[in-house]
Amino acid sequence: MINLQLLSSGIIFGLSLGSIFFLMTIGLSLCFGLMRIISLDQLLYYSVGAYITFSAGALLGNIWLGVLCGVIVAGLAALAVERIVFRRIYERDLPFTMITSFGVLIGGVGVIKYFWGLVPRPVSEPIAARIDIIGTDIPVYRLVIVAMAVLVYAGIWLFLNRTIIGKAIRAGTEDVEHVEGLGINVYRLFTITFVIAGGLSGLAGGLYAPLIMVDPNMGLDVLAFVFMVVIIGGLGSIKGTLVSSFLVGQVVSIGSLVYAPLAQMAPFAIMLLILLVRPRGLFGSQLLKR
Amino acid sequence: MSVLRWWWGLLLAFALLAVGRVFLPLPFANEIMIFSLYTMGCNYLLGRVGFISFGQPAYLAVGAYAAAFYLFYVGSNPYVGILVGIAGGMMASLIIGPLFVRLRGDYFALVNLALAVIIFYLMQKVLAPITHGDNGLWFLTNLDSTPVLDLTRPEQFFIFSFLVVFALWAFYKYLDDTIFGACCLATKINEDKLRFLGYSSFTIRLVAFVIANTTTALAGALYAVYLGFVSPEITSPARAADPVVVTILGGVGTLYGPIVGAIVYTGMKDVLSKILGNWELVIGFVLVFIMLAGEKGIWGTLAPWLQKLMLRTAGGATDQAGGGR
Amino acid sequence: MSGTDDILNVSGLNVAYGESKALFDITVTVRRNQVVACVGRNGAGKSTLLKSITGFLKPTSGTIVSDGINLVGLPAFVIADKGIKYIPQDKKVFSDLTVRENLELGSYASQDYDWGPVVQFFPKLKVLMDRKAGYLSGGERQMLMIGRAILGGPKLLLVDEPTEGLAPSIVMNLRDVFRELSKKTALIIVEQNLPLVCAIADKIYALKEGRIMAELKEHDEIKPEACEKYL
Repeated sequence: MINLQLLSSGIIFGLSLGSIFFLMTIGLSLCFGLMRIISLDQLLYYSVGAYITFSAGALLGNIWLGVLCGVIVAGLAALAVERIVFRRIYERDLPFTMITSFGVLIGGVGVIKYFWGLVPRPVSEPIAARIDIIGTDIPVYRLVIVAMAVLVYAGIWLFLNRTIIGKAIRAGTEDVEHVEGLGINVYRLFTITFVIAGGLSGLAGGLYAPLIMVDPNMGLDVLAFVFMVVIIGGLGSIKGTLVSSFLVGQVVSIGSLVYAPLAQMAPFAIMLLILLVRPRGLFGSQLLKR
Repeated sequence: MSVLRWWWGLLLAFALLAVGRVFLPLPFANEIMIFSLYTMGCNYLLGRVGFISFGQPAYLAVGAYAAAFYLFYVGSNPYVGILVGIAGGMMASLIIGPLFVRLRGDYFALVNLALAVIIFYLMQKVLAPITHGDNGLWFLTNLDSTPVLDLTRPEQFFIFSFLVVFALWAFYKYLDDTIFGACCLATKINEDKLRFLGYSSFTIRLVAFVIANTTTALAGALYAVYLGFVSPEITSPARAADPVVVTILGGVGTLYGPIVGAIVYTGMKDVLSKILGNWELVIGFVLVFIMLAGEKGIWGTLAPWLQKLMLRTAGGATDQAGGGR
Repeated sequence: MSGTDDILNVSGLNVAYGESKALFDITVTVRRNQVVACVGRNGAGKSTLLKSITGFLKPTSGTIVSDGINLVGLPAFVIADKGIKYIPQDKKVFSDLTVRENLELGSYASQDYDWGPVVQFFPKLKVLMDRKAGYLSGGERQMLMIGRAILGGPKLLLVDEPTEGLAPSIVMNLRDVFRELSKKTALIIVEQNLPLVCAIADKIYALKEGRIMAELKEHDEIKPEACEKYL
């Protein structure tokens, strides 16, 4: 049935998928924890990152440079949206901001369609090499993705635990008013968090682009998965998103070796289960009203 | 309640009917009817109970597929098909409701989205043997005897669906004026207070959930009957937020909002896709604009203004008109 | 006694929560290094007043002037930056951060890295430096909140029910702390504990249902029985 080689490639595949999920969901989790918004527009920065990687990579002849450009442009897009849209609506309630962020997402998809058209485009893999692990051919690129996710986790951890801004953000996830009461400009914290989230989403898109085709609806296709990961892990918890990203990655990957259609659905079933049994997710903290 | 209001509603209804028959192309008119119904459920959940659901397509699919199964495998009477659709929707929401309705607003939205995706995959892949997956189910509806209206004919379908929409509009209006309606609104505003008064917010939310989603299932059944075809596409995740968008567009929480929203949305989609081919861009920006400008939507902004106009002409005689709808 | 000695002038302040009015035409003055107490029953509007002054609530009308600047409409962090700090009632500190990190945030905000005064007032904090603030007792949290707030030498501290739920010995301690603090910082203290405030206050405002019922300034006026009369 499932032999070791298939299993090991499935695990690696799941790890790389989990890494992509993780990069996307850190931002979402932080944005929720600090600003109490569900930022559906992060899916847009994901798409932007992918598309810019595609175009810049083609233009500059180097996919890695393309990814870098993708991250930068995604971050800038996030900055623009935060300033123009979100800044005005932070005090509003959750459904409101959710719908607005969805509007941004859809509008952004429209912009992408306008510039790049509807046809999905392939992006070439920056590293075509493969190495041999336990007798299976593993693409090095997927291992690089996992390595990047680990690096990012380390970086975020250092940021949140060793820098004063990071500590302020952590404090803000507990109680923003108290942080503001100390005299700290929380609106600047919001912007910083939002842009970091956008950049990371762009990184996810850029890294994932060579493995799938870029198409205008890529953000929407992935939307449900991403939110499911966040919910399972627990809104607001970085450790939670780490665990659930990789969990879901493995479920999808190994599951599809067993029975493909069910594998796509399984994460949702897990999410439903979690929501009914332990709504705050695996690691989420009891969320107090602001 | 004010006599003025009922009279006003009836007049508007007949006016719409006439306009619809005369001015709009029939397919367009029919689509608007069904879409209004679809949106009403979402509108009630969001506007009255404060629940946002990105998973309405799930219930649309339940209604559509229930009707489709009946019409494909069992009989061909469209009325029965519609009833089956309604029953399916009601059953599904009664089963799922108690589980979902306990959740907080943000989790509720996402859980419904998850449901929509699950049903999508169910219909597309897992149950493919009976649903024929992406190829969909094709069926013909046939009436042995014509009781009232022959639904296979578009003009008659339009009259039927119009009546259905009107009936449900009246129903929701009635609901608003009952204690139940007040409770729903109260859940949205201050749930704790409601519970202290002795009402069970769980029951209220559950009932609202069932009502809203049965309406959605009804829309699904109508879709099935109208098109003679059902495929998983109606519940695809990309379409998951359509009802929410239309609800906001029309004016969340208002009675006419869903209809206005449906008209504008379908119209825009039709017109823009001919001109731009990229109407998402417009919809997205319009949505953001509406939210930033106060989230009242088209009817939400027009209604108070119209009401003032009405009061002035009616001399303010029967102005118990609180709450501009 | 002159106007230039005033660091806070609240005048004609009206505050509402949506449709429901909470404060009616409030006028309050605080002089440099003065201890002003605000007493009243639950729901009288005391916290509302403090929140409005510090920018967490927007008044519907009225002015709040400090050192020549109208504070109404300014974001809360700007007001805090000007040396007017709010210490809320909820005894909340940043639980996931250590005591040290809590103080670091205060220092970062005020750019004051001299923790001498803080440790002087609350020697216990020195021992607790590396403990996660979530594990502190109620009294220790209150100390941390105040310690954090005095960094940067604020000109006015607004303290909301500091002794609520605390043991009598800690309450005594706080009383002495406030006395010491008032040598450098003005205080507005909201309290239900009348004997405490009467012991340290220079002036007392009695609040009832959103209005100021009395302003007790004379030394012999400031007694718990006198306050009770107006509540």
